[in-house]
Amino acid sequence: MRESLIVYRKELQEILRDRRTLMAIGLAALVTPLVLLVISRVSATTATQTYTVGYSGDIPTGLDILLRATSLKLEPVADPAAAAKAMVDLGVAFLPGQIDEYYDPSRQGAQIADVRLQTVLGQYEAAQAAAALQSRGIDPGILTPIHLFTHPLSSPVQAASNAFLSFFLPYILITMILTGGFSAALDSSAGERERRTLESLLLTPASRSRVLLGKIGAITTISLVAAVAAIGSMFVALTQISIPGPGGSATHISLSPAAFPVMVWLALLIAVSFSALTLALGTLAKSFRQGQAYVTPLYFITILPASLILFIPDFNPSLAYYLIPILNAVLVLRDAIVHDTVAWPALAVTTISLLATGALSWFAALRLFTRESLLTKT
Amino acid sequence: MSRPAVAVERLEKTLGSNQVLRGISFEAQAGEIFGLLGPNGAGKTTTLRIICTLLSPDGGTVEVLGFGTQTAPEEVRRRIGVVTADIGVYPRLSARENIEYFAMLCGLSGSDLTRKVDGVVERLDMGSFMKQRAESLSSGQKQKVAIARAIVHDPEVLMLDEPTSNLDVLASKEVREFMVEAKGRGKSVIFSTHVMHDAERLCDRVTIIHHGRVVASGPTDEVRGERRDLEDAFLALVEKT
Repeated sequence: MRESLIVYRKELQEILRDRRTLMAIGLAALVTPLVLLVISRVSATTATQTYTVGYSGDIPTGLDILLRATSLKLEPVADPAAAAKAMVDLGVAFLPGQIDEYYDPSRQGAQIADVRLQTVLGQYEAAQAAAALQSRGIDPGILTPIHLFTHPLSSPVQAASNAFLSFFLPYILITMILTGGFSAALDSSAGERERRTLESLLLTPASRSRVLLGKIGAITTISLVAAVAAIGSMFVALTQISIPGPGGSATHISLSPAAFPVMVWLALLIAVSFSALTLALGTLAKSFRQGQAYVTPLYFITILPASLILFIPDFNPSLAYYLIPILNAVLVLRDAIVHDTVAWPALAVTTISLLATGALSWFAALRLFTRESLLTKT
Repeated sequence: MSRPAVAVERLEKTLGSNQVLRGISFEAQAGEIFGLLGPNGAGKTTTLRIICTLLSPDGGTVEVLGFGTQTAPEEVRRRIGVVTADIGVYPRLSARENIEYFAMLCGLSGSDLTRKVDGVVERLDMGSFMKQRAESLSSGQKQKVAIARAIVHDPEVLMLDEPTSNLDVLASKEVREFMVEAKGRGKSVIFSTHVMHDAERLCDRVTIIHHGRVVASGPTDEVRGERRDLEDAFLALVEKT
């Protein structure tokens, strides 16, 4: 173990003097909160933005007040259909007993304005019907013979926060572990060949497996540092972002208690697996540049599972799916964030799968690191 | 005669489709500079790599101070110091950190480590650039770092593969002086080169290999024979085969 510790210390020393790795970690810590702030600003602006309705004809009494209260600005136009193509978000022609609506579904502003108009019209019609019944001495309650009482099992605001975290957190965790260790792994493998230090290193009495263990340890450490930096800065940013709650209150996005230890455990497993894997790929390469070409596809392979959660948020696969590395980590972390519980069988299968991936990668790295062609082919 | 420091017996090695070594045998003694000579591609580097356990032979045996390279490779590596043809150093570490790293991997620690690193720094006159990062060193200074890291654990056998090939006149002279000094300390110095002038000046005994076979072996004077110098003898031998 002494040799592994010597290699570990030296690798960390070199990594900490490497601008490429430090920049990757620094950028991760800076960019993550920036992206979050931009997303939250855009969301907040979209939610409170006023949209313009170009109309013709006479607006039914009282409807204009409701429309303005929903941030729909009314603007008289000659031709609502033509205006809806470019000038306004929505075109409305008020005709006797009829309303014609014109909007372009390819524009997000038009879609939001349409939803707001539909909601306002629904409320207006219900109010008109209730008023008509009341004027005839009939209880307006007959309009709602069945009363619906909703009992949300979790706070809708917290659910929205969890849905956001269940996509964003695994994505940041996985990409930052990969990004943080990327440079270090290539420098430690392909870099040794490129700067011609490998032969001297292999000439020391230290066994190759111990040298490799020290290298993997250093890359794992720096991967975790990058992930901690990115996630730490993400949570600092999240304290500045709030989701509007009921009664005008504001809720901050926070991580459920069960998710934190799960995240730490998964981060460790992923970092070890990725370190061994990138080191193995780097050992195949003759130069840093060639190593980059080998490792870059890993980005796409790892981003796919995180994206799956974005597109299929309710994806609930059988236990066998938890054997697929990375996808399993994303699913376990999602479950812990959304349900605040740990599915132990899924976590056990995930742990075995990621440990097996790490062990296989380690074995491959060792085989590649001990092959003679490492020295004889340049 | 005492036990040889390095004994190479009928060494064979094929790399890819190329049979690089075809039954090479020689012995190197303690307290001598032994020259492994041959043109480029003759098999010098492959021979040295097998002796220092980086490559495995397809046939034959190598013993270093009684330890077989196949049966006790770590014991062999503990007893040898190798200066490779490529002067690779860790650019982001200082010259001293480079030497200390290899010294620690050779088992040195604590005050023993400091004493031996200080000793080698003084011996090779490296004090002026010890704290400098290796990326800013000249070729000659890097070569000194490479030598220092190879000898810091005070090995009995020193192997230098084309040590002067990338160096200027002054740096080459220092390397030659170092080899003579190491011989004076009773070390076995194995030196591979295709520069016959260096070999003639330094080596007590030489082995000339060509196309993977030994074409001449013995004391430098004997191998030179009646020829004007070792280069003439070398050319005659190589052209004959």
